[in-house]
Amino acid sequence: MDPTISVSKGCFVYKNGATRADKKASGKRKRATGGTSSLLGKEVIGQPFYDAYTHTWTQMNEHIQRLQQQSYARTLEQLVEFVVGQRQIEEKEEEEEEEINEILPTAALLTGINQPDHLSHFETFTQRLHAQKAARVCVLQSRDCPTLKAAIEAMVFSLIEGEQHQEDAEEEEEDRDRKRLRRSHCTIRQLKSWYSNNFPAGERKKSQQLVVILPDFECFSGHVLQDLILTLSAHCDTLPFVLVLGVATAMSAVHSTLPYHVSSKIRLRVFQTQSAPTGLNELLDKVLLSPLYAFHLSGKAFKFLTHIFLYYDFSIHGFIQGFKYCLMEHYFAGNAYALCTDYSKALNRIKLLTHEDMETIRRLPSFRPYVEQINDCKRIIAVLTDDDYLKKKLPQLLRDCLLHFLLFRSTLEFFTELVGDLPSCPLGKLLRELYVNCLNKPIVASPEYKECWQMLSFLSKEEFVAKVQRSLARTEHFLAEEIAPLELGEACMSVLRPQMQSIRQLLDDVVMGTLEQMPAMATDESRPAASLTQVASRQELKAQLLQRTQADKQHQQQPTTEFARSVHKTLEHIETLLVRGHLRALQDAPPLHELYVFSDISTVRRNIIGAPRAALHTALNNPHFYMQCKCCELREQTQLMGSLPDLSVVYKLHLECGRMINLFDWLQAFRSVLHANEEPVGEVAQEQIDPQIQARFTRAVAELQFLGYIKMSKRKTDHATRLTW
Amino acid sequence: METICAALEPQFPCREAAIRTLGELIGDSREAYPSAIYLFGHSGTGKTALTRAFLRECCRQQAVRIALLNATECYTTKIMLENMLDSLAPRRATEETFRADNMLEFVEQLRRWHDQGAKFQSFLIAVDNAERLRDMDANVLPVLLRLQQQTSLNLCVILLSQLPFEKFYNKTGLTEVISLHFAQYNKAETQRILSSYFFQVRAQLLKQFSKDAQRLAICEAALTEDFYSNYLNLFLSVFYKACRDVPELQLTARKCFSIYLEPVLDGTVESTDVSRLWRHIAGPLRSALTQIYMRIDKPPEEQEASAAIEDQSVRKLAQSLELPYYAKYLLIAAFLASHNSANQDKRLFVKHHGKQRKRMQTVNARAKVAEKMSTTLGPKSFSIDRLLAIFYAILEEKVGLTCNLLSQISTLVHLKLLSFVSGEQNIMDGSARLQCTVGLEFVLYIGKVVGFNVRQYLCDFM
Repeated sequence: MDPTISVSKGCFVYKNGATRADKKASGKRKRATGGTSSLLGKEVIGQPFYDAYTHTWTQMNEHIQRLQQQSYARTLEQLVEFVVGQRQIEEKEEEEEEEINEILPTAALLTGINQPDHLSHFETFTQRLHAQKAARVCVLQSRDCPTLKAAIEAMVFSLIEGEQHQEDAEEEEEDRDRKRLRRSHCTIRQLKSWYSNNFPAGERKKSQQLVVILPDFECFSGHVLQDLILTLSAHCDTLPFVLVLGVATAMSAVHSTLPYHVSSKIRLRVFQTQSAPTGLNELLDKVLLSPLYAFHLSGKAFKFLTHIFLYYDFSIHGFIQGFKYCLMEHYFAGNAYALCTDYSKALNRIKLLTHEDMETIRRLPSFRPYVEQINDCKRIIAVLTDDDYLKKKLPQLLRDCLLHFLLFRSTLEFFTELVGDLPSCPLGKLLRELYVNCLNKPIVASPEYKECWQMLSFLSKEEFVAKVQRSLARTEHFLAEEIAPLELGEACMSVLRPQMQSIRQLLDDVVMGTLEQMPAMATDESRPAASLTQVASRQELKAQLLQRTQADKQHQQQPTTEFARSVHKTLEHIETLLVRGHLRALQDAPPLHELYVFSDISTVRRNIIGAPRAALHTALNNPHFYMQCKCCELREQTQLMGSLPDLSVVYKLHLECGRMINLFDWLQAFRSVLHANEEPVGEVAQEQIDPQIQARFTRAVAELQFLGYIKMSKRKTDHATRLTW
Repeated sequence: METICAALEPQFPCREAAIRTLGELIGDSREAYPSAIYLFGHSGTGKTALTRAFLRECCRQQAVRIALLNATECYTTKIMLENMLDSLAPRRATEETFRADNMLEFVEQLRRWHDQGAKFQSFLIAVDNAERLRDMDANVLPVLLRLQQQTSLNLCVILLSQLPFEKFYNKTGLTEVISLHFAQYNKAETQRILSSYFFQVRAQLLKQFSKDAQRLAICEAALTEDFYSNYLNLFLSVFYKACRDVPELQLTARKCFSIYLEPVLDGTVESTDVSRLWRHIAGPLRSALTQIYMRIDKPPEEQEASAAIEDQSVRKLAQSLELPYYAKYLLIAAFLASHNSANQDKRLFVKHHGKQRKRMQTVNARAKVAEKMSTTLGPKSFSIDRLLAIFYAILEEKVGLTCNLLSQISTLVHLKLLSFVSGEQNIMDGSARLQCTVGLEFVLYIGKVVGFNVRQYLCDFM
């Protein structure tokens, strides 16, 4: 083992004197150092790739935020309306002199699972309410409310203090003089007196609702919730409470938690938010697959991220962070990747590239085919050695690349409409699925594609024409809406428009096509009928029949009617022009596409997905992997060496045992591993165990127990139980 | 006393006897009060409302100082005592706040008032949900029952609860109190109470149709007391068996009345044609019966949409609940682990599990009767290791044991689809045991969604 001082890692706290008392001072300090708030040093921030990264990320992030706000907007609007509306209802009830007292207005927001994401919803909700000056909001998390006492104290505290925080910004000084509220003083009585002081009964118009949000309804313990609701409803007549429940599962959860005498105290209104998968699809279609951005994810990376989302956690926030990580990883690879941006910007950046950056470009896998297709020997040498020559060539290459992606994206739109709603959706029905399929492998060769094409040719005339026309219209719309404002939009459109025109013409043929049989096909009908009579055996008959069906099949594949022919022709045309032309898989993409497409999925997987158990196993089984010391290099995984750390030796020995481990045997094995190199000194040495070794062993076992691999058995003395398998 | 009773009786029909008894006990502040009164009866029998109104009347007419409080809110004794002092305090002294950390200080404060000349003042304290007092400090309930004796004030404590007083006895014993039972209303009484709101309903409806002259006319003509009592008769025939809570009945009756009135307003049915009206209302009443107590408030524009949410069937629940793919499998695995015994696992999930020897004994033991079906016996607990093992066995593809996967388990626990049975604190050493809380039908549905036949892996169905 290398002479390291310690293998343990730790996190140490150094008090820097930033206590509450000198909050102001620390604030100033922050402002002073605000310029270099980033974790990274100046040398990184100044680089072009960092510039490109921040630009792309801020742009995308804003786009995402905008989109999410839009999609939450409707539900939030309703919710805000509900809260504000309560006041009018109360007033109305007063007018009517009705005595439906003690009924708590409640909104249940069906959020769908994944609660961490929902906090952000409620934050925006709070902001809206504050903006309208309509309500005082308090978010009560279940972890703050183990008992009714804690719940009410937390609620009252944040309702009263919440206001002071708002004022904080303006009058920090005054705030400090004010007597701070003690937790134990936060009672409903306190709240009442505070409310009547701040909002005197005379000016009811100005009064604010008191909104209590429980974002994670399911996590609350039943009796706390019941008592809380009973308490709130009892004070409903003096304090205008509105309860908002964030329900992750379904309404039945509310009904099963609240017994009748509680549920009759609330008036429940249900709101439904957008479900997480729809939210994600929207996000993908509008932002990640938008032609606006030069950065693309490869099919596999894309699938990986959506896979985490759909299979594990449904967390949109997590998805965005994963995507951000990919983005960082992509740009961090070097300054050459700064070219991954708009065309005109990239042109400017080309000048800044150094020799090393050019070498990175030359080392890209897709650069090789490009070089190979150049016929001229001199030019090949120039491209490979002369930086300036390559720099001159680069704009054209980049342009080709960017144009390819635009065409790809537009054609994808066409293709999605075409095959998306076929029965059983062999290629997938969503844009994202098709994107992944098209990028991963040449789609024309896949059996799913053939199935699709067959199904398309089976469609009736009206259906087929309508479908293709819909696809054309959608592509046209996409071109006009999304592509046209772009830099290379014109070029893209000039490529696609004529192709679409030709498809349209072929479609006209389909419309004109009749269902009549073609006379040319009818001639070879007479041949097989005769041969059926002269069969000798059953097998022969079977063979003949088989042959015939095959012949029939072949026969059928030949389009027999004018209509079928024209359909066939159209499909073929679409295939050659669009699918083969534009929907090329990543390996057939134009040179230098690596600059725009992120595909290093293994790094991302390693870094995004935590696998603690696997990591621990590696660390203990093969310490060399992490410590990089010379002494512990193993020829094979199961090898045992005395130079390994004690813990590792003990761990490996325990892997060989069954459920129960005899501590003495274990110790003997441990000793023999440590002394493997030494000659056995004799019987005496066997009997006596060196106390130092025993101490090391005991310590290692204790550490293993701490890590949760074993547990001391209570049934059998001197035995430990294995806990993992 | 007479005036108080007279004021209350029209408000609370069918409670004349109770009002009279209360009046005799505490109706006159110049007479000595009993030290404590205990009122009990089911919910919705008017205990709280009646007591509240009675005390307010006392306060108004005889200047008795009253305190009304709810024991649910009083999570500490201190809050209860301070709330009591606050509302019992003489009017002029509102500026000062009273502090009472414990019973002693509370009693002393009351004695101080006695010395200050409140000798001839009377006090009434009503505590709702009094059964909660049992869980508070041990001295609270005994002191409250003897408060009069200890403070020598003319003071009476009224306890309201749904339990009979026998449930309050503890080791130290309590002084006897005067109990007053609020019996449930019988059908006739319920109908009488509900029909007492007739004029209110009528006024409201008339106001509602005030813009529509034609409907207003029909409404005025049709809405007679007879018509309304006919309606209540029909209404109670459906609801009385299920619910006797008067406020709830009143609310539902009001909701359904507009549906009942609809055909009359449209002119399709005569207001006297009870049998046709019944045919019209029977369906809505029955569906209202399933939603009683739930208080789902529908925005006017979304009446149809929210009806779907209320549907309680399991299928709907499973549809509305969206889970990630692996979470679905984990839930199925949890269900299988809960409803199969551990010694069957090998047979169910391992491919080459060997041949099973059949002996008469085992065959007989296997012969399952419905009571022995583990799906009907309820879930058994299982360890996380077993859950993961079954999860990997039923999942065809290979997935790594990652944080994301493990966190799904805790998510399911949060959603209350799984629950910890024991060892919640020591998840680390693997002794924590979980239980699946969803039913067979739900899991079958989820299995169908992911294309997994759950029945095939349940011992009960083999």
